[in-house]
Amino acid sequence: MQGQAVQIIHAYKQAPWRVQRQWVAAFLLTVIGVAMIAALYLDVTARAAVAGREIQELRFEITTIQRANADLETRLANLTSTAEMERRALELGYRPVKPGELDYIAVSGFVPPEPAILQAAEDNTPHSQTIPAEYTQSLLEWVDERVKSGGSH
Amino acid sequence: MRQMYAVRSLFVMIGLVFAGLAVIVQMIRIQNSEQAKIFISQGDRYSGEFATIYPERGEIYDRGGHLLAGNRTVYEVGVSLPDMTDPEKLASVLGTYLGLSYDEVYNKLTDSPESWQYVVIQDYVGAETVSSIQELMRQMEDADDSSLSGLGFKPHFQRSYPENSLASNVLGFVTRDGRGYFGIEEKYNDLLAGNPVQVWVPRDPNKAAEIPKVPNGTTLVLTLNRDLQAKVETILDQALMNYGAENGAIIVMDPRNGEILAMATTPRLNLNNYTDYFTLYDNGSQYNRAIGMAYEAGSVVKVLTMAAALDTGTVTPGTTYIDTGSIVVGGINIQNWNRDSWGQQDMIGCLQHSLNVCLAWVATQMGPQTFYGYMERFGLGHPTGIDLAGEAMGRLKVPGDSDWYNVDLGTNAFGQGVTVTPLQMMMAVSAIANDGRMVTPHVLYSMLRDGHQYNVPSQYAGSPISAETARTLNEMLAISLEQESSLALLPGYRLVGKTGTAQIPTDFGYDSTHTNVSFIGWGPADDPQFMIYVWLQKPSASIWSSETAAPVFAQVAEETVIMLNIPPDVVRNQLAITP
Repeated sequence: MQGQAVQIIHAYKQAPWRVQRQWVAAFLLTVIGVAMIAALYLDVTARAAVAGREIQELRFEITTIQRANADLETRLANLTSTAEMERRALELGYRPVKPGELDYIAVSGFVPPEPAILQAAEDNTPHSQTIPAEYTQSLLEWVDERVKSGGSH
Repeated sequence: MRQMYAVRSLFVMIGLVFAGLAVIVQMIRIQNSEQAKIFISQGDRYSGEFATIYPERGEIYDRGGHLLAGNRTVYEVGVSLPDMTDPEKLASVLGTYLGLSYDEVYNKLTDSPESWQYVVIQDYVGAETVSSIQELMRQMEDADDSSLSGLGFKPHFQRSYPENSLASNVLGFVTRDGRGYFGIEEKYNDLLAGNPVQVWVPRDPNKAAEIPKVPNGTTLVLTLNRDLQAKVETILDQALMNYGAENGAIIVMDPRNGEILAMATTPRLNLNNYTDYFTLYDNGSQYNRAIGMAYEAGSVVKVLTMAAALDTGTVTPGTTYIDTGSIVVGGINIQNWNRDSWGQQDMIGCLQHSLNVCLAWVATQMGPQTFYGYMERFGLGHPTGIDLAGEAMGRLKVPGDSDWYNVDLGTNAFGQGVTVTPLQMMMAVSAIANDGRMVTPHVLYSMLRDGHQYNVPSQYAGSPISAETARTLNEMLAISLEQESSLALLPGYRLVGKTGTAQIPTDFGYDSTHTNVSFIGWGPADDPQFMIYVWLQKPSASIWSSETAAPVFAQVAEETVIMLNIPPDVVRNQLAITP
């Protein structure tokens, strides 16, 4: 009875349809694996591309804003130039002061404020100009680099 | 039947495998062939482009934070020829907006070599003009009119000077090629321009982050006080008109540290139209006469002669000299400015009446070695080292030079035969106002780069005389100015000063009709905070400094005490003792 059961199990294991199904399953698993890696790669690459494009746009925006800043600063300087300020002051009825018309008061401990330009801004320069390769390399580039370097660091 | 299908399937499978392998082998072969390398390099060439990133040129401010030189956006207007559809319309629109002729634009668009992809119509076009053209383009696009297609605008910076000609002699200017000429723009060109960086800009968005950040050029803060500079320029222009002078220069300096507070000269250039340079100036030395043009300053040099004599103990303030109206030095007869004899004079009287004969006698008492030793130590014949481009160094003939004669000792003592720039005189005389220490004049106050501030320390150029000598001479000059009832006096303030009237040397001797008039003065006498030098060339209203340069000094001093918040002496002394 036991020998018969063993024979049935053996026959079941060696059934042609079962061997074929195993091959199909292995093939499908491979395909699914490859598809998953491809999908992952595509997703990462697509997100990197979108991020890269955003960086490019932000850089362009930075340049545009810097230009606008410089333009506004120059425009402000034009509007507050000595000639312009003198004209506006005279229009408002002011006149140049004479030395005898001034009153002086001693204020102990008073230190005249420095202009804004001399109040040194904090250092906002990026300390590293280069972003590590791990953040910019694609999977294929990484594989290529590893192959070329023989797997060493 | 089933077996036959199996065999067929096997053949098909083998065929497909071989085909697949063949494709893979071919792919590998192509990828690694010699031609592939060429294709890859061609592909790489189009995967990005080399671009030179020019940093924004550093700005220039005065000490109060007012912008003196900045940048503004201008545009290069061009047309992409492959995208162009209607050259006639483009020529018409661009001709109208850019002020060009239709034919000029049309010829550029149609006569360009075939290999050209892009043609520049005009550069340095203002933002307002470009905005107008862009608005027209939008309207035409809304109306489905694409006749302006191909038209493009590339923005870039252009130097801009909001104050136009103010302090133009100090600032200098930047040409369209980005190079600075004269003044600060030339002296600090490398710092202001920054470091252009050539980078490979990839088109691949994955590599966008690799573009480096290029820091802007260094921003400079000057020692100039913009408002004082404007006042001084106005006073100088009025002085030229009032006294009929050809040109002039006025400098205001802090004698304690050498900071230049104002430096006005004529003529001045509107820096936004720097191409007018060639119509205003014959040569570069005229651009900033205060540092670039040496002249015989006359009696202001007597201050240095007296300083040397006091320092060596040759004379004291009370030393008397009987002025007979002439003295013979080196076989040549030297006379006073009015050819009169002034009788017995002490050294204060010699300075007060500006007696050539007395000062020539003083120099002879010192002897040439001592006299010229002191003049060298005062910096005559050497550039001051000011941080402005185009400085002249004047000429001090010394014994041993082929053109030095014994009489030069006498004439040099009262400022004849020795050439100096106004700034050189200020630097030399700063020793008298600064307890014997001579300052190096400078214009740069601070540098700002990458968020860091670097302040420029004051530098001293030696101590040619002792502090005691300096204080003694300071007092002598203050007394002589008071006793002279000079037009240089300013009510409420005790000032120190000396006039200088000098004949102008020509190829045929000295011009008897024209003079250079100068005045150097400082104050307050007991605590000098400003020093002013006035130079007027060939005034026609009067040839005398006391009637021309002296009142100009008083005007400048009046504005200076207001701008620098220097109270009258009485108030200042009261404030000083207030606890």
